Amino acid sequence: MNENVVDLSEFNLSDEDLFAHYDISQIETEKITAPRYSYWKSVARVFFKNKLNIIMLALLALIVVFAYLYPLITQYEYVYNTDAASHHLSPSDAFDYFGGFSLKWIFGTGAGGESTFDAVWYGSSISISLAFVCALINLTIGVAIGAIWGFSKKVDVIMNEVYNILGNIPYVLFISVMVLVMSASFWTMVFALTVTGWLAIAYFIRTQVIIIRDREYNLASRCLGTNIFRIAQRNILPFMTSVIVTLAATEIPSYISYEVFLSFIGMGLSDMSLGRLIEEAQASMLTPGWQWEFWAPVAVASIITIVLYVVGQNLGDASDPRTHM
Amino acid sequence: MGKYLVKRLIHGVISIIVVIFIVMLLVYGLMDRQLIFASDPNYTRLSGNSRTVYMYQQWERYGYLDYVPYSDYLDNLVSDGELDSATRNEAAVLGRTPSGDSDTTQTYVAMFTDYYESQGYDVTRLDAGRTARDGSQLFASKDYNIFNRLWTYITSLIRIDNIHYASGIPDDERGLSFTWYDPVYGGDTFSPAIMGNGTHHKYLLYFDDQFPFIHQNIITLRLGTSYSVNRNVDVWNTMTDEQGNIVSSSVIYPTGYTANTADDLHSATYSAGSLAAGGEYTQMRFEDDYTVVTTNLDGMSRMAYSFIIGIISVIVAYCLGIPLGIVMARRKGGVIDKIGTVYIIFIMAVPSLAYIFMFQTIGGAIGLPTTFSLVNPTTLMWILPIISLALPSIANLMKWMRRYMIDQRNSDYVKFARAGGLSEGEISRKHIMKNAAIPLVHNIPASVLGALTGAIITESVYVVPGVGNLLTRAITMYDNSVIIGVTLFYAVLSVVAIILGDILMALMDPRISFSSKGR
Repeated sequence: MNENVVDLSEFNLSDEDLFAHYDISQIETEKITAPRYSYWKSVARVFFKNKLNIIMLALLALIVVFAYLYPLITQYEYVYNTDAASHHLSPSDAFDYFGGFSLKWIFGTGAGGESTFDAVWYGSSISISLAFVCALINLTIGVAIGAIWGFSKKVDVIMNEVYNILGNIPYVLFISVMVLVMSASFWTMVFALTVTGWLAIAYFIRTQVIIIRDREYNLASRCLGTNIFRIAQRNILPFMTSVIVTLAATEIPSYISYEVFLSFIGMGLSDMSLGRLIEEAQASMLTPGWQWEFWAPVAVASIITIVLYVVGQNLGDASDPRTHM
Repeated sequence: MGKYLVKRLIHGVISIIVVIFIVMLLVYGLMDRQLIFASDPNYTRLSGNSRTVYMYQQWERYGYLDYVPYSDYLDNLVSDGELDSATRNEAAVLGRTPSGDSDTTQTYVAMFTDYYESQGYDVTRLDAGRTARDGSQLFASKDYNIFNRLWTYITSLIRIDNIHYASGIPDDERGLSFTWYDPVYGGDTFSPAIMGNGTHHKYLLYFDDQFPFIHQNIITLRLGTSYSVNRNVDVWNTMTDEQGNIVSSSVIYPTGYTANTADDLHSATYSAGSLAAGGEYTQMRFEDDYTVVTTNLDGMSRMAYSFIIGIISVIVAYCLGIPLGIVMARRKGGVIDKIGTVYIIFIMAVPSLAYIFMFQTIGGAIGLPTTFSLVNPTTLMWILPIISLALPSIANLMKWMRRYMIDQRNSDYVKFARAGGLSEGEISRKHIMKNAAIPLVHNIPASVLGALTGAIITESVYVVPGVGNLLTRAITMYDNSVIIGVTLFYAVLSVVAIILGDILMALMDPRISFSSKGR
């Protein structure tokens, strides 16, 4: 027998003095005592723990300022300089020609004597806008249709056929026909890039949904009578958040690259975009001393895409709840 | 498995047909047909009626509509014996306006109009100016129906050569002949050949010293005749014909005449009346109307250039990408993993155009040839295009291999193997590798067949005479039949690649079975 056991009768107290009645609240028993967990706060905590992300975010902010505010300040407009001596200047020659160092001539001048620096940032704003608008449209449609596609077996049969057929039509052809039918304006390009662009995203989401759909916890949820929308919202969407963010991280830079590619094959925008700048400067690439015109937009395009990609990927990693431990 | 494959193939064929249908709708339905004249110098030079007539003629060539001028209708009547040439000439004279027509003309114009309008054609009568009164101002035209067009296209895709092909050869001369001694080699060298008379090709089956040594002309693929990209040549031939410098050799013509020339007599095809029209030069060499020959060139075909560059880069990519991915996964967080990740991010994020130009500049700086040359080919010129194509696929393979390997490492069977005392190397080699490679194996047929379609940017940056830019060129030049032909080619390759990928995956992984549908 244990020595520590106390015999209550030693205290000579009645049961009422020894014990007090405690009211059990049904609601209180349901509460779980744990530190408050906010999903997005945890995402931010994990994201900012990595110093690289802060640098990348700062770079992104700088890019946005240059792309969207700088052209507004300088009132960008294409001006042809009639003095042939001002054409195709390297930065140092441009400084000499225009009298001293200034940010405007840091990339030299283009074929018309215009500032490459100004043109690059104006082009960036159009390319970035195009990428974000396309990504937004494609991701919204793609995720919505992909979710239905993954859930419903009837839709799956039809959509698989649609995917097999449309997937076989060369993307270039689709876009070129759109560009030729309508003019090569910004919104035409958006339409051309989104008219079938959502399909690949929807297919990807569909595969992810199917993987998660048949997991045991969802089976259990269904057996308990949870309706399908609640399952989608509570059981599957949290899983998909990091997938969707990661997807966006690859999609957004890919539209910038695609715009560059389309310009290269002569199907690009009629606006001054990064792709058009690169395409126009291609010939200058081969002339010694003129390479600045070509490499400046290429470098800026690369920096923009890399920054967007890294920020997006790391945000995707951070939005995966499994990294929140 | 067999039944499943048949089902998949039928499915594939149907989806290819639908693809062609959609592309035809896009090309002929959506694109403004006026656009084809945008950069046409003839169009800008012409004006008035001749411009209108020119437009209709071009539209017929590009496959938009069927165009019948009034004069052709009259000529047909003459050849059918319903009209004599005197009346024809009288009927062909059109007045400046319909009221100015003579009685004879009015009768035939009415007949023409009735005949074609009853068939659904639109009959157009232009008022002549002071000059043109030659009958070209009256014509009938009818847009091709899309289903009709699709049906004609599909049924004429494969042509089987037969002895009733050529017109103008008496029926008793038609036939096939077999010889052990091919006359092209002088008639004493042993070389079997099947020759035809009345067929499109003179040589239906023959041997020569070029890979694959035995050649046939019985079955010809016809993907569509080009109009502006490679005039009057079929898309398939545009992709597979040799290019480069002319190679001359001593050739013995059917007449026995010997000359040092590049003519390839095995390619002789029939062209009615060409012997008589060719004059002394042709008559000295040929005995019959099989006079249309191609020339021997020393370069390879477009597809061969694209394929060689593509296939080598695929091999290089798999040989480097997979081991690197494995190393990255095994030393996760190590130096190689970090360098590899930076490389993957670079390739994934930077526009492909940018890094291809970068490789070109770097390659040029260390002395490699930066452009492809057919005139004086060297081995070195292949290096940069291959590297440019291989580096992105290496990054892609590294990314996925690393990912699959890391995913597999945490699975139960690996933990069990580790608990059982297997070494890390053994686990990685014998257990994880096998499972991680399955999804990558699925892509092998697609990469290999994809090499046939070429690479747009790489080929144009390095000036490779490949097939990569065929589609974009066809689009910019409005060559509708080339667009459709190339799309068909792509679609067939991709359908075949997916089916082959599934078969390969099933062979690799016995758990995957086609006979039952999942679990």
